Amino acid sequence: MDFDFGSLLAFIIFGVTIGVVYGIVALGISLIYSGLDIVHFAHGEIYMFGAFLGLVLSQQIGIPYPGAMIGAMILAALLGMFIERVFYRRLTRSGGGYTVSGMGMIICGFGMSVALMNVAFLIWGADAEPFPVDFGIEPLEINDISIPPSYLLTAVVSLCLMGILNYFLRYTKIGLAVRAVAHNKDIAFLMGINVPLFISLIFGLACALAAAAGVLVGPMQSVQVEMGYLMLMKAFAAAVVGGFGSLPGALIGGILVGIFENLGAAYISASHKDIYAFLLLILVLMYRPAGLFGIVAKVKA
Amino acid sequence: MISFITNFASAIESLAKIHRLLPWVIAYILLLFLPNLITATFGEYYVDLANRCCLFILLAVGLNIVKGFCGQVTVGHIGLYAIGAVTSALLAQNYGLPFWLSAPLAILVTCCAGLVVGLPSVRLEGAYLALATLGLGESVRIMIAVTPALGSSTGIMMIPAPTIGDYVIESFDHYFYLVMTAAIIGIYFSFVILNSSTGRAFKAIREDVIAASVSGINVPFYKLLAFVISAIYAGLAGALFAHMPPGYLHHNNFTVIEMVTLLLMVVLGGIGNIWGGVVGAIVVTVIYDQTKDYYFYQPLIFGITMVFLVVFMPRGIGGVIEQAIVKRKFIEKHEEQNLGTS
Repeated sequence: MDFDFGSLLAFIIFGVTIGVVYGIVALGISLIYSGLDIVHFAHGEIYMFGAFLGLVLSQQIGIPYPGAMIGAMILAALLGMFIERVFYRRLTRSGGGYTVSGMGMIICGFGMSVALMNVAFLIWGADAEPFPVDFGIEPLEINDISIPPSYLLTAVVSLCLMGILNYFLRYTKIGLAVRAVAHNKDIAFLMGINVPLFISLIFGLACALAAAAGVLVGPMQSVQVEMGYLMLMKAFAAAVVGGFGSLPGALIGGILVGIFENLGAAYISASHKDIYAFLLLILVLMYRPAGLFGIVAKVKA
Repeated sequence: MISFITNFASAIESLAKIHRLLPWVIAYILLLFLPNLITATFGEYYVDLANRCCLFILLAVGLNIVKGFCGQVTVGHIGLYAIGAVTSALLAQNYGLPFWLSAPLAILVTCCAGLVVGLPSVRLEGAYLALATLGLGESVRIMIAVTPALGSSTGIMMIPAPTIGDYVIESFDHYFYLVMTAAIIGIYFSFVILNSSTGRAFKAIREDVIAASVSGINVPFYKLLAFVISAIYAGLAGALFAHMPPGYLHHNNFTVIEMVTLLLMVVLGGIGNIWGGVVGAIVVTVIYDQTKDYYFYQPLIFGITMVFLVVFMPRGIGGVIEQAIVKRKFIEKHEEQNLGTS
């Protein structure tokens, strides 16, 4: 294949935009990890639910796209908090503290992920549903490759969400409490913070981010039941690549995964596209488990 | 129920005193009549079901070694099973190797794959490991699904059945002897491993990695060994699955749903409990098969069952029975003491 700088640039832009979305899901996974010290295996399904909720809200009920996105975020946050309260809370309780280690949580999340996927299948069926949204912006043209407006919008909205989250965590009192809970639950509890409530809040926040990602990806690709599971893997890859628990790390990791995946699909083989993220994940896990940027896993949120 | 199990166990123990292998041989001989019994009472289809039970017993027992004994969370086991099945099928189909040659080669390839899956375990723990293995397992399935040489969307058809001399093992009840033998040998060896120094090393790693390494256990070696042993089980089960009549393979046999079913078997039976895993495998396979008409709801039911099992019965059926036996023995002992003193 001839080396063409313009198409390379286009692939990189595609990679960056999808990578930013991986980044916000990765951020949610990181947040839950910092709150509960677990990896939430059903997070991909929350993302899928978010996409479907956005689809229903905007197409069937007729709420405009931004409103549908906010609605999907709120509903997904409620769903996440419900799951956390009803199922995961029991596990943490039996563990004695607020965190669980070991197999139970992983198996529980795995079961929850399959169950949620099945629920979505029963409600919306197995077909891929299109999510047409008219943004009213002209596609950007680079060397005969046109970049649809949804890609540009996605990147902008994702970055805005990250900025808001960053502001929230760093400059508000609730954000300070969230960081305290993530840092040390016992001491946070002694300081008068309602730790279980904040764990629920963290869960809801993470699920809202996942839902936002789902609504953003919807117009780019189609919405289908099996989308969550690959997303989980890629977002996890992003979180690991960037270093678990760091906010800019998740963003950079997501972008790296997105570029890696798109370049692999473009120059090696498009049908193996979904494997490249796993490859990157495994390579990084084996050689630099703390992430490419060497951020120690202890520094959370 | 509990008293039946304890009596049964003591009867088996007294048999084992005569010769260590005696209970196994008796069980084997009794199971030889099972296909006739099943065909007579239920029909031939259920022999096929019994075959699949045996395969899943192999898988569950293998998964138990790495998960239950060694405490490493792996969810990529189904990928190893897929590698075993596809390797054996391709070797038999493209190079005309007989089953007796293609299966060991497939097991060898699966061992190498098991080593690769196990490599992350040296550096990673818990959730990281779970996701790394999930990634590897799913990569295997995607590879199979998109590569035409590995079957892709049509699957591999007409895989030759194993032969002994001129005789072709292609009926369900004759295939049962093959898979049942494999399952019995698999269960036996998993007990041998559990009671050997290797098994003790595994359990030490499960309980505390640092303490194990301080006691002179080569932790990376034993972790990898656990993965390789479980890969042998998965490879054997895969090869047997590939050649099982009707000799057809499709990547849909290796999805996350299958992995969840496999996990459910181990969790239902009790993690680390060999007989629990066997019972779990049989129960889940039979339920899975009998509820095929409601396959829309199957993953939901299975997933929720798994969640509730972890929440309310973390030690599974095996754990509950074990606990009941211990309690009963304790009560009996105390009653004896009370009788002695009064």
